Amino acid sequence: MDFITDSVVIGLTQHAPLILAAIGFALIYRLSGLINVAYSETITLGAYIGMWINTTFDLNFYTILLPTGIIAGLISVATYLTIFRPAKQRNVGALEMIIISFGLSIFLRHGLQFVFGYPVRFYDVPPPDTIRVLGIGVSSFRLAALGSVVALALLLFWFIQRSGYGLQIRALASDENLAQVSGIRPLTVTVLIWFIAGVAGGLAGAFYGVGSAVAPLLGWRQFLFIFLVVMVGGAKNLGGVIVVGAATGVALAAMNLQFGQALYAQLALIIAFVLLLKVRGRRFADLGKV
Amino acid sequence: MGDIRNVAAATRPQIRIEGVKKSFDGRVVVDVDELILGGHPIEGLIGPNGAGKTTLMRMIMHSTRLDEGKIAYRRGDGDDEVVLSNLPTHRMADIGIVKSNQVIQDFDNLTIWDSLLLAVAEASNERSYQIYREKRVFEAHAEDIRWYLERFPFEDPNGFAKSAGEKKMLDIIRCLLLRPEVLLLDEPTAGLPEDLRDDLMEVVKEKSTTENMLVVIVEHDLEVIWTMSDYVHFMAEGSVILRGEPDWIREHETVVEKYLGSGHVAG
Amino acid sequence: MNLDWLDAFLLFGVFEVVMVIGLALLLHLQIGLVRIANFGVVGFWGLGAYAFGASFTKIDWSLGEPWPFLISVVVGTIVAGLGGLLVGWLIADLDTDGVLVGTLGFATAVVILVTTQDGLTGGALGMSGLRFPFDIGKTKANELLWFGILVLVVGAIFYYVARVHRSPYGRLLIAVGDNEPLARSLGKPAFRAKLWLFAIASAGMGLLGIMSATMFHLLIPEAIGINVTLAAIVALVLGGTARVWGAVVGAILTVGLFEILVQFYLPFPRSWYTQAIPVLREMVFGAALIIVLLVRPLGILGDMRRDKLVRRMHRG
Repeated sequence: MDFITDSVVIGLTQHAPLILAAIGFALIYRLSGLINVAYSETITLGAYIGMWINTTFDLNFYTILLPTGIIAGLISVATYLTIFRPAKQRNVGALEMIIISFGLSIFLRHGLQFVFGYPVRFYDVPPPDTIRVLGIGVSSFRLAALGSVVALALLLFWFIQRSGYGLQIRALASDENLAQVSGIRPLTVTVLIWFIAGVAGGLAGAFYGVGSAVAPLLGWRQFLFIFLVVMVGGAKNLGGVIVVGAATGVALAAMNLQFGQALYAQLALIIAFVLLLKVRGRRFADLGKV
Repeated sequence: MGDIRNVAAATRPQIRIEGVKKSFDGRVVVDVDELILGGHPIEGLIGPNGAGKTTLMRMIMHSTRLDEGKIAYRRGDGDDEVVLSNLPTHRMADIGIVKSNQVIQDFDNLTIWDSLLLAVAEASNERSYQIYREKRVFEAHAEDIRWYLERFPFEDPNGFAKSAGEKKMLDIIRCLLLRPEVLLLDEPTAGLPEDLRDDLMEVVKEKSTTENMLVVIVEHDLEVIWTMSDYVHFMAEGSVILRGEPDWIREHETVVEKYLGSGHVAG
Repeated sequence: MNLDWLDAFLLFGVFEVVMVIGLALLLHLQIGLVRIANFGVVGFWGLGAYAFGASFTKIDWSLGEPWPFLISVVVGTIVAGLGGLLVGWLIADLDTDGVLVGTLGFATAVVILVTTQDGLTGGALGMSGLRFPFDIGKTKANELLWFGILVLVVGAIFYYVARVHRSPYGRLLIAVGDNEPLARSLGKPAFRAKLWLFAIASAGMGLLGIMSATMFHLLIPEAIGINVTLAAIVALVLGGTARVWGAVVGAILTVGLFEILVQFYLPFPRSWYTQAIPVLREMVFGAALIIVLLVRPLGILGDMRRDKLVRRMHRG
């Protein structure tokens, strides 16, 4: 029993930023079908911005979350308006779109290194309080991360289910022209989605950063798992992303406890997820259009 | 004379469709108890929009899965039956079944010549280590291809197919070049000018006799059906409800009522 | 032989350019013809190199030189090819998103295995003891000879890729990339074609990894990072995916620019070279991908006139 509660508590709190980031990534993916590789840099940016605000203005960690999220969201919107929107207007293919986002990812990653210097940076925060959850000590930062996941999930749930925007997003995702004709303003909705996705990524970055250190590869190291979670869980809806994200966190924690080696846990998960996609792909393989 | 006819009838390729069902999102699209294609050289399949004709064709090619039932195929040389619904799509052409497409399908980066050479190239010449086989493939099939290119005018046979009509024609020529035993034509004439349409159908008719080929035509242009087919199946709401000689079908009150409409002028 | 005229670092720079040309050519088959986005180039490259290294340094060979080396090269190439077969099988019926996740996952898996299996790979410390299979005198002479062999290997890859464009096999690959369902309905085994393409291209990438590791005498996990994949993709995209020459031109203009021109002929302060220039290089590469695909998607060389090629093929 201990093993299970340990895995669940550690998994959910330690990997809460993963769920947060996956929700953001999935929002863009489901709206426009775009695999935004540069989303990993939205996360890294969040980590750096939070660190910069924290060390420059000497603010405590919880205070910096709001400005960090907003700035990351604005940068996310800026990448959409300057790169992805023009690309879409030029009818760039799906494969080229991924390469463009890959290029942006590389550019931003090394640009950050240029701006913030090469050494690893740290947040200047007092050691977090330890709160006991089901008998396990959890840092208050990690609980805050989990809290953000719940808050964002509830916000999105309300946003998509209750407000009129959910319908608009679904309409936009299936057919932009049709949506436009029926009076939906694609630009407003799209910008909003990119903003929310940016906020989620930026916050995830801040939580990752405060948990360890801030480095240019911070987001890229998480990208594969975010991507896998969204591919496996995001086929239907955001709920799937949250469930698979949480399951991934718990599985990573459990395997880590079992093997004592985080890398093996990651390897096992990569293999399991790719095989899952393969099996799923097989089922649809014959359903060609001819 | 009678003997030869009997032999020909016995060795005709045949597709047997048994208890086949398909639904999308709970809506039954195809529900065919029994349908045998191959009793006649050219058979037509007609019916109102949404009758399930295209889906049925796709199910024969196994590019749409069956929910239930079986589609079996017996080659013209009298081999044992093959269950098509167990085969992957790319094996269909090997065993002699090809289909032209209702919606225009093309290879954007292949020229017309390329596209036709692709169709005829044997698998043994397309292996990754066979990098000197172009000449062999070209010499073996150039004559065949030229015959079609002379018969059907393309604006620039060395370039890419430009109009929708050219792409449609290319699609059908690719199929014919494979010398199939069964040729399924899904709305072959949509988008083609009338003279070209007649020319194409003439070639199809010619090939069906000289190459002992079974042709199944799905078509809304009924003039094509009445002049081409030896036998017609009428589909509505997923099932084949009538079958018979073209002249009988076109006069049948169910067909007139469900499909041709009262405004139809027989002629 | 007097090799004083030759700058040893310049030779390493040119070596890298030629190596990237080779990778970009192999990637050309995958992205250019079949339109499979392989983002795991470095995985195959590193798998080949490490399999070679483990075989060469960890096995107690009783054979005389150069057999242990040659056998290890074959082992490394085959292992990389098998890796390609595995990845090819995993992704051949997935869409672009699935291909991206599968190939990235593979590259990550290779890094994880290299880090954890330190008994075989030397782990984070790296693997040393890799040396040339010959000794013709000075270090520089050996390096020059090894570079010559690389040129031959990449030349052979170029010849193969150019021939593929002129063969029924290439036509099949283009057809599968353009419209896979249509190709299948014409009886083309698209799945198998992709599988073999992946196996062959990956084996080639593995061989290039082996050649690179031997040149540098060292293999470390940092060497199998995303920058190798990036170099190959940038070279291919900048030069264009339509023509075979695209990969060559692209690699010279990108990697060549930084590894040769910037390193040796531009008067930057020395202190820049350790940190600023490599970072700048990646930034420029990233920006190049965005700009080229937005402004000139077909790359510098532009579209290939396949109609002209086909006409020429059949005249001769």
